[in-house]
Amino acid sequence: MNGSFIKRITRNKAFSLAIIMFAVWIIFFLLNHNYFVGENFTGIMNTSSLSGTIAIGLACLMMSGSIDLSAGAEGCFGGVLVALFLRTGMNWILALLLTILCGVVMGLINAFWVNAMKLMPFISTIAMSSIYQAMAVIVTKSSEIAIGEGPFTRLGTGHIGIFPLPFIIMVILMVIYGLMLNYTKFGRRLILCGGNRTAARLAGINHQKITTIMFANCGAISALAGAILAARMNNGGPRAVLGAEMDAMTAAIIGGVSFLGGGTSGMGTIFVALLLVNSFNNGLQVIKVNSFWQFVTRGGLLILALIVDYFRESRRQKALKQGAKV
Amino acid sequence: MTEVNTSVNTDRNAGGKGMALEVDNISKSFPGVKALQNVSFRAEPGKVLALLGENGAGKSTLLKVLSGDIKPDEGEVRIGGVPQKFDAPVQAIQAGISVIYQERQLVPSMSVLENIYCGDLPATKAGFLKKKEMRQTAERIIQEFGLEIDPFEKLGRLSTAHQQMVEIMKAYRRDSQIIAFDEPTASLTDKEVTILFDLIQRLKEQGKIILYVSHRLAEIFQITDEIVVLKDGRMVKQLKTAETNEAELIKAMVGRDIGDTYSSLKRNDKMGDVLLEVNNLTTDAVHDVSFKLRRGEIVGFAGLVGAGRTEVVRAIFGADPIISGEVILDGEKVNFKHPKDAIDAGIALCPEDRKEQGLIRFRSVQDNVCLPVFKKMRKGLILDRKKQEALTEKAVEKYSIRTPTFEKLVVELSGGNQQKVILGRWTSELLTTKLLILDEPTKGIDVGTKAEIYQILCDLAREGKGVIFISSELPEVINIADTIIVMHNGHITGTLAREDATEEKVMSLAMLD
Ligand SMILES: Nc1ncnc2c1ncn2[C@@H]1O[C@H](COP(=O)(O)OP(=O)(O)OP(=O)(O)O)[C@@H](O)[C@H]1O
Ligand SMILES: [Mg+2]
Repeated sequence: MNGSFIKRITRNKAFSLAIIMFAVWIIFFLLNHNYFVGENFTGIMNTSSLSGTIAIGLACLMMSGSIDLSAGAEGCFGGVLVALFLRTGMNWILALLLTILCGVVMGLINAFWVNAMKLMPFISTIAMSSIYQAMAVIVTKSSEIAIGEGPFTRLGTGHIGIFPLPFIIMVILMVIYGLMLNYTKFGRRLILCGGNRTAARLAGINHQKITTIMFANCGAISALAGAILAARMNNGGPRAVLGAEMDAMTAAIIGGVSFLGGGTSGMGTIFVALLLVNSFNNGLQVIKVNSFWQFVTRGGLLILALIVDYFRESRRQKALKQGAKV
Repeated sequence: MTEVNTSVNTDRNAGGKGMALEVDNISKSFPGVKALQNVSFRAEPGKVLALLGENGAGKSTLLKVLSGDIKPDEGEVRIGGVPQKFDAPVQAIQAGISVIYQERQLVPSMSVLENIYCGDLPATKAGFLKKKEMRQTAERIIQEFGLEIDPFEKLGRLSTAHQQMVEIMKAYRRDSQIIAFDEPTASLTDKEVTILFDLIQRLKEQGKIILYVSHRLAEIFQITDEIVVLKDGRMVKQLKTAETNEAELIKAMVGRDIGDTYSSLKRNDKMGDVLLEVNNLTTDAVHDVSFKLRRGEIVGFAGLVGAGRTEVVRAIFGADPIISGEVILDGEKVNFKHPKDAIDAGIALCPEDRKEQGLIRFRSVQDNVCLPVFKKMRKGLILDRKKQEALTEKAVEKYSIRTPTFEKLVVELSGGNQQKVILGRWTSELLTTKLLILDEPTKGIDVGTKAEIYQILCDLAREGKGVIFISSELPEVINIADTIIVMHNGHITGTLAREDATEEKVMSLAMLD
């Protein structure tokens, strides 16, 4: 009983990730004692909230068996759009809702290529990423669009206790989507689609409908994440959000969502993975690694996650083949 | 969250009790093949109807028509006289038809419970799951099957046999009026087969219509009431099981008498020196395995599924690491780190699981056959197409592989024909094989071809090759192999010569209770 409890804990992915995260903290703390200062921790929470929010939509989409590499560009365009809407003097709630709606449209365009035109999601969403990013540059004429202080910017800069508002919004969304994945029929069907498309089809589940919804959802959440970043930065810029989708994907994969389909994960694990990724990135900044090198290490981390994913998948396949004993 | 409304309401089943299923004049063509041609038959409630036919005869295609997965080119399906039109599988389910496919359709990363429901989970109007109801129903079903499976265990951790049982539970849960089984026993052990047959008996008593596909004639006689024989996509005849016999069925299926398979084999009578010697081989899964194989000898491995037979040959082949013990091939001690080394040394392994380990599913028949000998087919830098075609043609002929062209993708072949492609690959004469290992080569193969495969094994032995033959079908191991090794739980529990082997002896060694 006791033994199996310890086993269960150590086999728990969130737990082992948390251990790794503590190790990362300790290493960076030893390298630079400023690492643990509260302000820095707030920084981690702030940056996590961007990639973390994007990770929610992306992870759900990946679990349903597809992928959206344009999530970052969608976020960027979202940030620009909200700034443009606000500049017209529009009510901020309306502006935010319109931005999210634009995110839905961007997601639906991605879904159209993948589901109706049968293009590969990897390729078509990269292409769309380039387009969305370029649109953001075009509509802003390559400059940043300022947002005046107001209730909207407080969405990005406000705090409750020590927690920044964007972080709280992300956590709330994670809880909601976590519940959706685990406690609703839709959530389970979504995961079933990702796990075995044929089985889902034979059981009468429409895979295209589900991925279309998840593409739209990913677009909407990414646009929201971009808008919140704009609120935090007091402007919407065509170069914001850069690379956040990569961190989001790294977190999702480390958290157990498989790139190769079939892997699933709880939002809790993704949350821990996200903090891990962002602690790592933040640590690199604190020890003053050149920002170009930071991109190298971030890319390296993603590669590492993919390798781990590959081995996890092949072990799973092997267990399957041998029919691990009952 | 928008709810995708495809949920299956079993109360709305169109196929109510007491209604017959009529398949009327169904035809279906694929490019180059007429898979079904004007097939008509009638299945009565409370009866088990067998579909019998060679590999590629169209059995699975017919079941896919019934499951709404494939639209027939002509003809219709009627339940209780009412024509059914299926645009998608969900409509067939709603009409009360459940089909258990030849290839398992499960999600290894999800729990047993969720696989049993397969997305059709009980939920409140708002879409929230009724977890308690889910658990209770799943536990009840598992209990009715008399199995000890934890509903919350990940499916991928179950044995193949138990996974197959979960696939059956999936259909059972829907409580459909019509249930079709496509070769369900191919991956079950005797224990589960008994459970399955009891279950089919119960379903029959409840007045359900059962369709049953299998290549094992003994099973057909044991559980079915009527038999529909298909050949080349056409219906040959429909007969009552009680009024027919094996010879008549085989003749209807194959179109000729095949006589007594075993006694008409041309066997090898000259054994050579020792080719393979295995001493105290131990791996993760097997312990202290020792045996010898001479040139020209067929060594059969018998035992229950999971007894460790596959693991022994995988270790010899370099696919699994050896912990201790030695393997001596041709007088030389070997320890292959990788299957490639084993192939170079003259060993070929035809694996049990064609889907996972053998075939490249989205490549042509030709590519699959020629795969290990590409190196020998080079003409300068390019591959010699003529040679490839010649080799493929030989394989296709030898095993009567049913394919319209060599370019056909392997996934599009029928289950048994996929198995034949693998056999063709590993028995081609371009491979200078000394030792051929065949793991369950006759799984899913029809009776006519089985007899041909037995003869091919004997021919290989006559050429002086060593053959290791693993099979869970007792009659074939004890009649084909010269020496029969029985395994249980990773250990060898007995070695018998063919003259001494009987089914009872082998069984008691395999069970060892
Ligand atoms: N999707 C497909 N595309 C093309 N041809 C197909 C497809 N599915 C089946 N066929 C062909 O239809 C024929 C009938 O196949 P089917 O799977 O029904 O045979 P079967 O009777 O189930 O055989 P087995 O006993 O080997 O399982 C075969 O010649 C097969 O190659
Ligand atoms: Mg078949």
